[in-house]
Amino acid sequence: MSVNDEALMAAVREGDLTQLGPLFDRYHVPLFDFLSRMTGNRHVAEDLVQEVFLRVLKYRATYRDGARFGTWLFSIARNARADYFSRRETTMPLSEEALEAPDAAPGPERQIEMESESGRLRAALMCLREDRRELLILARYQCLKHETIAELLGIDIGTVKVRVHRALKELREIFLQMAERPSCNVKTPQRNWLII
Amino acid sequence: MQCKDTSAQLADYLAGSLSDSERTALEGHAQSCPACREELNRASQMWRLLGDIPAERPDSRAMRARFDAMLAGRAVARVERSPSMGSFVAWMRRHAAVQPLLQGCAAMLVLLVGIQVGRGIRPPTSPEVHELSQEVRDLRQMVSLSLMQQESASERLKGVSWSSQLDRPGDEVVSALIDTLMHDSNVNVRLASIDALKRFADRDSVRSAAIQALGTQRSPLVQMALIDFVVETREHAALSTLRQLAKDSTVNEAVRARAAWGIDHLETA
Repeated sequence: MSVNDEALMAAVREGDLTQLGPLFDRYHVPLFDFLSRMTGNRHVAEDLVQEVFLRVLKYRATYRDGARFGTWLFSIARNARADYFSRRETTMPLSEEALEAPDAAPGPERQIEMESESGRLRAALMCLREDRRELLILARYQCLKHETIAELLGIDIGTVKVRVHRALKELREIFLQMAERPSCNVKTPQRNWLII
Repeated sequence: MQCKDTSAQLADYLAGSLSDSERTALEGHAQSCPACREELNRASQMWRLLGDIPAERPDSRAMRARFDAMLAGRAVARVERSPSMGSFVAWMRRHAAVQPLLQGCAAMLVLLVGIQVGRGIRPPTSPEVHELSQEVRDLRQMVSLSLMQQESASERLKGVSWSSQLDRPGDEVVSALIDTLMHDSNVNVRLASIDALKRFADRDSVRSAAIQALGTQRSPLVQMALIDFVVETREHAALSTLRQLAKDSTVNEAVRARAAWGIDHLETA
């Protein structure tokens, strides 16, 4: 029988760093999924997963008994992602855009993707306001319960439900607009789908 | 059941967390209320379409390798933090591990002190100067290794460049460069690692890593650089990999031509 996440993390906190290995194996895929859907860039997502586990080590003493490990981990992931983009916006020179570009040429692939319903929806999701997108990703792909999302985002459960509904409405509007004009005309700090 | 309840229960409905009776009540209301029915249908459609967006799969093996390297680095740092290592070097390493900038400054400071001491002391090859020089070398090496583990590609690129400036880099640096070549997510960093590895081409581990990378890397730029690497180092063991590349129709045309050129050179060399 496998040891539960909380017991493993408690051992890490007490100094047994090897117990972080099983936690990495259990969580790197859902973390990557969350971060790649949030950033639209798999390379950035892979780097951020490493950063998250580095922070788990760094701040392991702050993990409290009784806290759900998954919730704690995702709160670190949210911070790591926010820090990454705030650093990019304030310090990164223009040449970094090219440096961070993925291997393959994106243009034609992105065009083909935009022709499919899924591709268009993925693009619409990247145009959605960041907090709305995060909420939908947590609810739809991470399959987190509304109370867990509420705990993670620091809002009450009723607000989570209302915002999920609202986010779906906004997403639908953008999605429909994109069928006619495939560009992101909603102001948002995330415009990755256009440049990667 | 009222229209405002539809809105309140919609998120639970989509997540499948309504009870049977609540779901039946909601669907029953939607049947008799066109506005709620449309609301429910639209939200359900978006929810379903969202589920159709495929998930990307991470490169778990490479990620685990990076994670293990990070964990090993932390374990080493903990040993160095132990009280028995209460020397100046231990203090420097402790702070340098978390602050590459501080690390660089510290290295420069030690270097300047070393130069001054070297000028003031005769003969110039005194043990103190030698020891300081060694510490400078160690610190430079740590700066390079630390940068190669950074989140930002530009920092990792700096780390690779630093490694080229090291006098006599240790095995850790060579291993880190190989790991970068194999697993770094950024093509520019991988390309820089190939250049940096050229000075270690006399090592078996480096040459075999280059051949392995030639068989696994998919970026045409990296493939071209690796072909040049194995030709320059006259690595005949790379011939079979080059032949596979040259006849693989999925490989970039320019890469295939370069592979054919590499085969010619190696066979006639």
